[in-house]
Amino acid sequence: MTRTALVLGLLAALCHPAAAQSGDAKAELARLKPKDFPSQPIEFTVVYPAGGGMDVAARLLAKHVEQASGDRIIVNNRTGGAGMVGHAYLATQAKPDGYTVGVLANLMWGDAMLRAQGRWAYTDLEPIAYVNTDALTWVGPTEGPYKGMSLKQIVQAAKDKPGTIRVATVPGSMWDYIIEQIEANSGAKFLRVPFQGGGAGIAALVGGNVDLAQGFYSEFRGYLDANKVAPLAVAATSRMDFLKDMPTFNETLGGNEYTWQVIRFAVVPKGTPADRKAYLAASVRAAMHDPELVAEYKKTGAFFDPKLANSSDLAKDLGDYAEAERAFYQKTGRLK
Amino acid sequence: MEALSNLAAGFGVILTPQNLYFCFLGSLIGTLVGVLPGLGPLAAMALLLPVTFTLTPVAGMVMLASIFYGAMYGGSTTSVLLNIPGEAASVVTCIDGHQMARQGRAGAALGIAAIGSFLAGTVGIIVMTFCAPAISAIAIRFGPPENFGLMVLGLVCTLYMITGSPLKGALMIALGFLGAAIGIDVVNGKERFTFGSINLTGGLDLLAVVIGLFGVTEVLANVERLVHGSLLTGRIRNLWPTLDDWRASWRPIVRGSGLGFILGLVPGGGPVTASFMSYALEKRLSDTPQRFGKGAIEGVAGPESANNAAVAGSMIPILSLGIPGNPVTALLLGALIIQGIQPGPLFMTQRPDLFWAIVASMYVGNLFLLVLNLPLVGLWAQLLRVPYHILFPVVLLLCVVGTYSANKNVFDLWVMLGFGVAGYVLRKLEYDLAPFVIAFVLAPLMEQSLRQALVMSPDGAMILLQRPITAVLLAVSAVLVALMFRRQSTHRGGDL
Amino acid sequence: MFERVLNAFWILLGAAAAAYAWTLGLVGPSGPESGFFPLIAALIVMGMGVALMLAPSQRATAPEFPRSAALHRVLGVVAGLALMAVALPYLGFAVAGALTMLVLLRMVERVSWTGSVALALGSVVVVMWLFGNVLGMPLPRGPWGW
Repeated sequence: MTRTALVLGLLAALCHPAAAQSGDAKAELARLKPKDFPSQPIEFTVVYPAGGGMDVAARLLAKHVEQASGDRIIVNNRTGGAGMVGHAYLATQAKPDGYTVGVLANLMWGDAMLRAQGRWAYTDLEPIAYVNTDALTWVGPTEGPYKGMSLKQIVQAAKDKPGTIRVATVPGSMWDYIIEQIEANSGAKFLRVPFQGGGAGIAALVGGNVDLAQGFYSEFRGYLDANKVAPLAVAATSRMDFLKDMPTFNETLGGNEYTWQVIRFAVVPKGTPADRKAYLAASVRAAMHDPELVAEYKKTGAFFDPKLANSSDLAKDLGDYAEAERAFYQKTGRLK
Repeated sequence: MEALSNLAAGFGVILTPQNLYFCFLGSLIGTLVGVLPGLGPLAAMALLLPVTFTLTPVAGMVMLASIFYGAMYGGSTTSVLLNIPGEAASVVTCIDGHQMARQGRAGAALGIAAIGSFLAGTVGIIVMTFCAPAISAIAIRFGPPENFGLMVLGLVCTLYMITGSPLKGALMIALGFLGAAIGIDVVNGKERFTFGSINLTGGLDLLAVVIGLFGVTEVLANVERLVHGSLLTGRIRNLWPTLDDWRASWRPIVRGSGLGFILGLVPGGGPVTASFMSYALEKRLSDTPQRFGKGAIEGVAGPESANNAAVAGSMIPILSLGIPGNPVTALLLGALIIQGIQPGPLFMTQRPDLFWAIVASMYVGNLFLLVLNLPLVGLWAQLLRVPYHILFPVVLLLCVVGTYSANKNVFDLWVMLGFGVAGYVLRKLEYDLAPFVIAFVLAPLMEQSLRQALVMSPDGAMILLQRPITAVLLAVSAVLVALMFRRQSTHRGGDL
Repeated sequence: MFERVLNAFWILLGAAAAAYAWTLGLVGPSGPESGFFPLIAALIVMGMGVALMLAPSQRATAPEFPRSAALHRVLGVVAGLALMAVALPYLGFAVAGALTMLVLLRMVERVSWTGSVALALGSVVVVMWLFGNVLGMPLPRGPWGW
């Protein structure tokens, strides 16, 4: 199906077709719009490189926010230090004038608690809207000695032969944490091979260089379709709609502590004027109600946490998750 | 042959006015972006990503891909004319290309660069057409040990690039590694050499370093000497390469194409590494290596072909496996996902229309670029006539914007300035700057791969010998090092 | 003389880096730690510095550092770029860029006033148009909104 392109010359002709918005959302937006705002493009800051999962989510969001509000949005990647540079920029340097919106993940909390060294806290960034959630998934090989095994069997194998099963991990992140939890609870011992991201680890799995990999649906779906990886378990509270046969970690290993997800949400720097903050929040929410965006997100394997999607106090609900993470850090000795 | 009929179908898709328009647009923007110092294809593609939302997947992907190799064409222009690289993959072209320009042979340099790029790109695409599945089966097996072997080979080739004192060259390489160590250690997440600075946590930006060392340094050196007049030391002659130029260039072009294509396949490789290694290879194979650095056309033909072939090579992992090997292909991956297309091993069979259209677009794009760039060669060469005191502020302005645009961080400007001053001083004291940059790019990849390999190996370092590809790469490296020492002892000249 | 100073600098830099690398940890349970390779590199820097210090200088002439007018030109460029880096966040690209170019054109190369202003303004406008409109990347604005 072809769509006619409306590009005029070299200018990014971002057309704003009348989106199928409910009249309510649009009316609300018009009501909340502050005078003279925005008078220049709004920056959506992404702290990870272009093309990655976060970036894709942010760009889809920006596209629909533009359609919903008519404002010009520019996605800007401020990368470096595995997100640290961008987070610090948003928390300490970005002007709280409503022209900067951060599209972040809960990974920011780890940076704030463990690596910010007191220069900023996660409360310096005020959440305005929830976007989506992606749950960490373990995938196994379809060839080799571990093929066809379930999660339970692999954990057992790691117990029987400690330190031989190679797991791809990203050091200093939830990839590591879940391995730690499993090892602590079951006495198994894995061999952690470090990579820069989930995707690299999954590629290594397919190439036979590791035995287990961790990542998100969008990262391994291509391989799943080609039957090169086998999904083992997902670190969420309930099963995924698109992989109904894949159990959760909690189901398989018991308990309810194996919840490791990337929660994406939009923030503004603390101190942003209340009217602009409310308008931005409404714009993002309007975009999130667009069924087209919901469908696009679902295709990437993301889902919507009902608690956050229907939250009446997003800052508090997200804060609960943040404090739970802090408790984990304290329990495991990373934080005093 | 099935591949040919698929390719024909791909051409059928691409040869529509709309798709051709976007292929052309991408090539044009890519060239522009390549010419502007500092601004690289990644930034341009990221900026234009929103435009692709309103386009068909074919048009969008074709446009983005064209920007990628367009930048490789454009990058050689400022390198040759101003000794300022258009982007990191064109640094090596500065070395001999600019000397040729000073001698009035800018036309020949630019011409060979353009034609070499076209030939290399075409060869790469042809190989891609017929061998993609086979190649990707091998590429997927490349794990940390293989990457390590490749990086070692690359670093060894760096040694060949050293002109002048080997002691100083080794020092520059070691410094390059230290410079790259600033930031986060990817293997365990710890910060190194950051001293509490948030900006340093991200490490030194490659573009800022390159523009500083090769752009600002160059301006400082020129400004010191030139009061009036332009960069030219002689008349502009030879707007086209001569027959002699062709004779000297065709073999580097062939070698560069092969080398570049292979390097494009592996993660961490890509056009930058390919250009450096090609230069080193040509210098090593030449009977008269002392000409390198003074206007040897092989030093332009090889690297320029290599970086274009590397583009074709790097498209294979992304199109047939869904694995991005460098940030640019990672962006292409993201663009595909946004369009709702799932890259992966089945991409070729699920969306043959899109796959083959992209492949076909690469042929067409390469042709566009040749047609775009060749006639402009004469025009660009005239740019050298502009009096330097008017030229350089504009050039510096572009450097500043280009560097700033990467991360929107003023810190990068300070990095650029700092390296500019340092480079200026070091050049005065006869230090070669290129080895620093190569080490800066390669050494961290080498370190990461080695440590990953050691972690995953039950037998420690033995894994390097147990895996055949790695063992071969390391053996070749060892041989090259031995040959180099032998050459040093027979050519007993040069200062220490 | 300059070479001596530089070689001493390498030795000091190498030593400092080596000491710092040592504190990062050298060998861990699974192989080299964060400090291992930086230590090797730092030792190489130090070693080369020492070797260069001891080796007889083969240079025919001393390196020529610029004097008076040439030195002013070089320093002028450095100052111009520093001005740009300092002013950009506060004055925005247009003003900072134009000012810097004026400095570079006037002070360094003594282009006429009218010529300098024209070229400075012209370049800044073209660059802002090129990046802002053509490439879709607006450059930082100053306190006056542009």
